[in-house]
Amino acid sequence: MLQFSKFVAIRAALAILTLILVSFIVFTLMELVPGDCAERYLAFKNSQGAVITPADIQAERVRLGLDQPYAQRWASWILNAFQGEFGDSCILRLNISQLLGQKFWLSLGLCLSALLLAYAIAIPVGILAATSRNAILNNSLRLVSYLGLALPNFLLALMIMLFSTMVFGNSLTGLFSKEFRDAPWSYDRVMDFLGHAWLPVFILGWSATAFAIQTVRALMSDEVGKLYVTAAQARGVSGRQLLMRYPARHALSPIINSLGFDLNRIFNELPIVALILTLTEAGSLLIEALARSNDQQLAGAIIFLLTASIVTINFVTDIILALTDPRVRRSIVG
Amino acid sequence: MTRLLDVENLTLQFDTDEGRITAVDDVSFTLEAGEVMGLVGESGSGKSVTAKSVMKLNPSNAIYGDKTKIILHLESGSIDIMSLKSSKDLQVVRGGAISLIFQEPMASFAPAITIGNQMVEQLLIHTNMNSKQAQEFSIEMLDRVGISDPSMRFKQYAFELSGGMRQRAMIAMALSTKPKLLIADEPTTALDVTIQAQVIDLMKDLVKEFGMGIIFITHDLGVIAQTADKVAVMYLGRLVEQGAVRDVIRNPAHPYTKGLLAALPSLDDLDTPLTPIPGDIPSPLERPPGCVFHTRCSANLGARCSSEIPGFSPVSDSHTVACHLYNEEGAK
Repeated sequence: MLQFSKFVAIRAALAILTLILVSFIVFTLMELVPGDCAERYLAFKNSQGAVITPADIQAERVRLGLDQPYAQRWASWILNAFQGEFGDSCILRLNISQLLGQKFWLSLGLCLSALLLAYAIAIPVGILAATSRNAILNNSLRLVSYLGLALPNFLLALMIMLFSTMVFGNSLTGLFSKEFRDAPWSYDRVMDFLGHAWLPVFILGWSATAFAIQTVRALMSDEVGKLYVTAAQARGVSGRQLLMRYPARHALSPIINSLGFDLNRIFNELPIVALILTLTEAGSLLIEALARSNDQQLAGAIIFLLTASIVTINFVTDIILALTDPRVRRSIVG
Repeated sequence: MTRLLDVENLTLQFDTDEGRITAVDDVSFTLEAGEVMGLVGESGSGKSVTAKSVMKLNPSNAIYGDKTKIILHLESGSIDIMSLKSSKDLQVVRGGAISLIFQEPMASFAPAITIGNQMVEQLLIHTNMNSKQAQEFSIEMLDRVGISDPSMRFKQYAFELSGGMRQRAMIAMALSTKPKLLIADEPTTALDVTIQAQVIDLMKDLVKEFGMGIIFITHDLGVIAQTADKVAVMYLGRLVEQGAVRDVIRNPAHPYTKGLLAALPSLDDLDTPLTPIPGDIPSPLERPPGCVFHTRCSANLGARCSSEIPGFSPVSDSHTVACHLYNEEGAK
């Protein structure tokens, strides 16, 4: 038990170390963008008609602390980042945590729900596909799953949008109805949110499910053919007990292992889906920050948060793996 | 002696993408209680498939011949194994009346379930023990096969045990339900020579103690000479020779058995070159007509061997061979 807590502590420390390294890379990338925050904001002001002198830029730099040495600025950025504080956006001049706050959690929630949906479907279906010898079932599953892999999410989103606009009017976009958009959380707002969220979750989960089915099926097929399954059969273990305790139980570890990777994939697909479904409350902010306004402070904050989520998921799956797989556990605990 | 097992006209084919493959062709043998039979042959001769047929453990694309009959005689009555269809029905023989030990103990234990839990699971299926009794009995069995600190090993996983210890644990598990027949599929092939000897001695002791019959599958005639009472030699799915182990090894009749014995290295005379059997075992997709061995046989008689399947002829009272050389009244 003591050794297990030690393992958790070490993994947590490693996760934080990873985050610090990532923060360094993110921060460096932010710095590599030509021009700094002061120039960018004043250039933006200039374009709006204000007259800006080099002295103004210098004064702005001092105000933002951009005249400090690189390492010092990184240190203060990362210290603040770990407390959820990312300073002000370059262009919008708004506090980033306030700007992102709820949006980030909603995005994360959408992605996690899509991941959950994917595996809730993929695990039973994948097991069935790997163990059933029914050719019709197998071929139709294969077809659906290739369709899921081949059909890009944005195309699916567009098709559903088109269909819903023709059939239901324009009710399927966004994450909230107008009256709830800025309202405080309440029972009605939650219900309204769920009424909207199923669509992006479905679209994000679509290809993730197809992918997960392939993963589960391949892993299960691998396990089913192994000698220990035949050996268990030879001892009289049969039916569901045989399936669940032997191949399914042993295919679980690599599935848990792939969760972090899958979440990453879903995250990457979120912005474009969000753009099409006009989910201003979620991922589309990233594209806007990166492409449109060149707002490096904001983009850095978003990338940092995404990475932090994935590092956290990996940390959690490592702990689950250690709890479920004795090979992993014994290699740590000894 | 009481009869334990009758295998009659066992024919087994597999439906594969390349066509129907004959793995076992018209094999018959018997086994008495307490008797050890060695089943010998090269890889691909069908010996493992034959053994697995006894508990109907072959994959679902296996097709048994119409005349195939496998009868297991127990005190409670005889069981016609071919008539058992569902895996629930087969539980009587699988792990109950018959236990199977595989070549690779590492791969035959589930990696993420403790040795103990796998033993207890089998006992709960086949006996009336509750889980506490099953646990105590399993630890007792581990102790019985010479595993030190059995209560600790009980809680461990296969990957935490050494190779020899794993095979001991496998034997403990196989014997825990007191089977009447033990099938050992190359149980010592994956072990070091010194461990091999220990495991073979252990098995010999336990057989005497438990009074069960054993089918011992191996390609190692040396092991057979030490352990078995009788031996059956298989080639490409057919039995080619069977008899008492001394008769067959001292006085082999079939050219294939002679070849197997000549291919064994001898420690007494290291200068004599080994004489391997020429050629490879043919693919089961291209089974030779006539005698299956005629393509590699040094005593090939020509047309007769390549067209007519030889029947069994007696070599002595306890020794028969399927070869045209012996076909007329057992005389050459």
